[in-house]
Amino acid sequence: MRPARNIALAAAASAVLVSSTARAETVVRIGAALSMTGPAAVYGVTQKAGILAAVDEVNRSGSLPGVKLEAVIDDDASTKEQGIALFQRFIHRDKVAVIIGPTLSNTATAADPLAQAARVPVVAVSNTAPKGITDIGDCIFRVSLTEAQVITPALARMQSRLGFKKAGILYGNDDAYTQAGYNVMRAALDEAKIAVVGTQTFAKPDQDYSAQLTALKSLSPDILMVSALAENAAGIVVQARQLGWKVPIWGGNGFNSPAFIKIAGPAAEGVYAGTAWNKSSTEQANQAFLKAMAARGVDPDQFCAQAYTGVLVVAEAVRLAGMKTGRDDIRAGLARVKDLETPLGRFTFEPNRDGTHAPALQEVKDGKFTIVP
Amino acid sequence: MGQWLIDLYSSYESTLGYIGLNSLFALSVYATLCCGQLALGNAGFAAVGAYAAALVTMHAHGPFSLALFAGALAPAILSVPLGLPVLRLKGVFLAIATLGFGEVVRISLVNWDYVNGAQGIVAIPKLTSLWLIYLVLAAAIFVLYRLRGSKWGFALEAIREDEPAARTLGIATHRYKLAMLVLAAVLSGTAGALEAHFTFMVAPSGFTFLRAVDMLVFAVVGGTLTCFGPVLGAAFLTLLPELLREVSPLVGLEPGPLRLLANGLILLAIILFLPEGLASLPQRLVARREGGSG
Amino acid sequence: MGQQVLNGIFLGSIYALFALGYTLVFGVLDMLNLAHAAVFMLSAFVALTLVLRLHLGIAFALPLAVLSAALFGLILERVAFRPLRDRTDSNVAGLISSLAMATVFEAVALEVFGPNIARFPIGTLPDRQIAVLGGVVSVLKLGIIALALAIFLALTFLVRRTRLGRDLRAVAESPRAARIVGVDVDRVVAAAFAISSALGGAAGVLFALAFNAVSPDMGRSVELKGLSVIIVGGMGSMPGAVVAGFLLGVTEVFVVAYLGASWRDALSFAGLFVILVLRPRGLFGAASLREA
Repeated sequence: MRPARNIALAAAASAVLVSSTARAETVVRIGAALSMTGPAAVYGVTQKAGILAAVDEVNRSGSLPGVKLEAVIDDDASTKEQGIALFQRFIHRDKVAVIIGPTLSNTATAADPLAQAARVPVVAVSNTAPKGITDIGDCIFRVSLTEAQVITPALARMQSRLGFKKAGILYGNDDAYTQAGYNVMRAALDEAKIAVVGTQTFAKPDQDYSAQLTALKSLSPDILMVSALAENAAGIVVQARQLGWKVPIWGGNGFNSPAFIKIAGPAAEGVYAGTAWNKSSTEQANQAFLKAMAARGVDPDQFCAQAYTGVLVVAEAVRLAGMKTGRDDIRAGLARVKDLETPLGRFTFEPNRDGTHAPALQEVKDGKFTIVP
Repeated sequence: MGQWLIDLYSSYESTLGYIGLNSLFALSVYATLCCGQLALGNAGFAAVGAYAAALVTMHAHGPFSLALFAGALAPAILSVPLGLPVLRLKGVFLAIATLGFGEVVRISLVNWDYVNGAQGIVAIPKLTSLWLIYLVLAAAIFVLYRLRGSKWGFALEAIREDEPAARTLGIATHRYKLAMLVLAAVLSGTAGALEAHFTFMVAPSGFTFLRAVDMLVFAVVGGTLTCFGPVLGAAFLTLLPELLREVSPLVGLEPGPLRLLANGLILLAIILFLPEGLASLPQRLVARREGGSG
Repeated sequence: MGQQVLNGIFLGSIYALFALGYTLVFGVLDMLNLAHAAVFMLSAFVALTLVLRLHLGIAFALPLAVLSAALFGLILERVAFRPLRDRTDSNVAGLISSLAMATVFEAVALEVFGPNIARFPIGTLPDRQIAVLGGVVSVLKLGIIALALAIFLALTFLVRRTRLGRDLRAVAESPRAARIVGVDVDRVVAAAFAISSALGGAAGVLFALAFNAVSPDMGRSVELKGLSVIIVGGMGSMPGAVVAGFLLGVTEVFVVAYLGASWRDALSFAGLFVILVLRPRGLFGAASLREA
C-alpha cells in the first residue's frame, strides 16, 4: 500500500511539472492549405515536405524562445470549393494563427477573401498571378514572385540568348494563374515589340493539344511560350515535339516542378523557365536548406524552397512581434519583414505585401533543371 | 458551452444548408418526373439562376431579394424556348436533349468574359441563411403537395401513365409539361441563387451534367411518387458522406471512393429492389408483414 | 491543313470506336448504357496495370485489357440490365442502374489507383514519327487508326455474315419474335454487351496510349460526346456511329484551331440539338443493325 501511494504521488507531481512547463510554451498553429490531389498535386507534395522540414528546423534551432510552431496540413484538391471549405475549417475549427497557401492562385482568389474577412493572415507561397492575390486585403502576403516579377525581366535575357522575333502563345484559360501568366507574357512581348503571331488556349482536363499546336506551328513562330500547370505542360511539350516543333519552348512558373520533366521525358530537354529559386546559390541560408532537405531524403524543387521560406517568414514575423502569437500580431510582424536571409535570397515584403528577391532563369539539361548563368 | 455550440453550428451549417438546397434540386427534377418527363437540364437552370443572382449582387449591387427574384425568373424565361421544341421528344431523347442544354449553358458561361469565364465569380457575400433555405423548401413542398390532389395533379398523373390516352381525353399535354418545366426551372434557379450566396462563389465547373445526374439520383433514391420522396432522398444522400467519413477508417477505404461506392450501391439496390424509392419502404414492409402472416 | 485533318481522323477513330459500343446496346436493347465510359476507363487501367506490374508488352496488354472490358460488359448486363428487361419503364430504369454501376466502377478505380493521372513508363510506346499527307503523325497514332478501321471491318463482317450477327439483328427487331423462332435472347443480349464493352474498352486503351494519361475521370471527355455521336449518327445505327464519330473528330479540330478550344465542346452539343429538333432519328435513320 505504501510504496504504491508513493509512486502515485510521484507520478502526480511529475505530471504537474510536465504540464506546467508545457504551458509555458505558446503554440503558433499554422494551417497549410495544399493541393495534395488534383492537377496541382505535383506542387503540393513538395510544399508539404518543405513546410514540415522548416517547422522542425525552426523549433529545433530555438530561435523563438517560448514559442513552438505547429503545422496542420490538409488537402484542397486543387479546387476552389475545397479550398473554401478548408479555410473555414482552419479559421473556425482549428483556430489557426496564420495560413500558408493555397497552392493555386485559382483557389486563392476564392478562399483568401474569407481569411481577410476573418482577419487571419495568409502567406501565399506559390501564387504567382500578379492581380487578385495580395490586393484582396492587408492580411494577404506573398512569398512567391509573381509572373510579372519573373518573366518580364527574363525576356531581354532570353531575347539576346535566343534571338527570336515571332512568338506563339498557348495558355490555359480556365485557371487564374495560367490566365495571368498569359497576360504577363503578352504584355512583355508587346512592350519588347516582338510579334505574337498566334494565340491558342486549352483547359486543365484536356489531353489533346494537337489542334492548337498544329494551328500555331503553321504560323511559324521562333519560340513557343506556354502558360500551363505541370501536367498540361508535359503533354504540350511532348505533343509539340511529336508534331515536329523544333523551336525553343519557354514556360511559366507551372513548369518549375521536376514532375514536369519526369512526365515529359526526353521532350523536356531544352525547355526554359523563369524561376524564383537559384538552386546553385552558395548563400548560407540556401545551403542550410539543401542540407535540411537532404537529411530528410527529399530532393527539393522551387516549390519546396518557397514553402520552406514561408515558414521562415512566419517565424520572423513572430520574432518581430515580440514573440506575441495572436493573428493580428503575426500580421503586423509580417508587414515588417525586411532583408531576411532565406533559401530564395534576401527577402523583403514590399508595401503591397508582395515579396521581392532576385529571380533566376533555368533550362532543362540532361533531365534536370540547370540554372542559366 | 456557448462556444461549443457555435463551433458545432459552423461545422454542420454547411451540411444542413446542403440538405435543404439538394432537396430543392431534387424537387426540381421531380417536378417534371411528375408528368413522366425525364428532364436533365436542371444544372443548366441552376447555373442561370446562380449567375443571375450573383450578377445582381456583385455588379448591380442590388438587394438580396432582387437577386433571388432574378435567380428564379431568369431560368424560367429560358425554359420556355427550350421546352417548346424539346418536350416533343420522348423518354431517353428528352433526357439527352435537356442534358445537352445544360452543357450548352455551361460552355457559354466558360466563354463569357463578363462573368470571368471558367474562373467564375468569387467573394460573393454570404447572404443565405439556413432558415431562408428551409422557408423556400417549405414553400416548394407546399406547392407540389397541393398540386397532387387537384385537377392539375390528376392531369399530370394521366400524362405520366399514358400520354397519348391523356391527349385523347382532351388534356392539353403540351401546356402541362411546359408548365412543369418552368416550375422545375424556378426551383433549381432559386436553389442555385441561394447556393451562390451560401458558398461564396459560382463557377461553370459547379454545373456540369454530373450535377444534374446527382439531382436525379436524389429524386430516384427517395422515391418519386410523392413530393416527400425527393426530400428524403436528398437528405439521406447529403448526410451519407458525413457518416461515411467517420466510418471510412474502420472499413479501410478512403472517404472519397467510399462515398462513391455507397452512392452507387444504394442507387443500384433501389432501382433493382425498391424502385419506388426509400419513401415506399414503410408501405413495403407493412405489405410484407401482412402478406407473410397469411 | 493536312496535319489538322490527320489530327481529326485520329480523334474521330476514338470517338467512332466508343460510339459503336454505345449504339450497339441501344440498338439491341433500347437502353442507354451510361456505364460505357466507366468501362472505357477501367480497361485503360487494366492495360496500365498489366504493363506496370506484370511487365507485359503492349501487344499483349491491349488484347487482354479488351477482353477484361468484355467481361465487365457481361457483369454489367447480368447485374444491371437483365433484371430490368421486363419492366415497363425499362429504358429509364436501365439508364439509372447503368449510372449506378458506373459510379461503382469509378469508386473501385479511385480506391485502387488514386485520383491522380497515371502514366505508362517512358519507353513502353513507340515514339517514331513519319510523314504522311503533308503532315506528321506518330507511328502510334497511325497504328491506332489502322486498328480502329480493322475493328470496324471485323464488326461489319460479324453483323452481316455470322449467325450471331443475324441473331443480334433479330433481337433488335423484336425480342419476342426472336425468342419464338428459337433465338436464345439472353445469350444474344449478353454477347451484345460483351462486344459493346470490348469496343469501349478498346477505345479507352487506345486513348490512354495515345495521350499517355490514365485517370478515374478520363471518361468524362468522351462520354457526352459519345452521346452526341450516336444521336447524330442515329441511335442503333452502326455505320451512323462511325460516320458521325469521324465527322465530329475532324470538325472539332477545326473548331479548336479557328474558334478557340473553349468552343470545342459546344460543337457536339450544337450538332445534338440540331439533329434532335430537326431530324430526331439521326443521319442514318432509325436504322437498326439490319443495315449494318
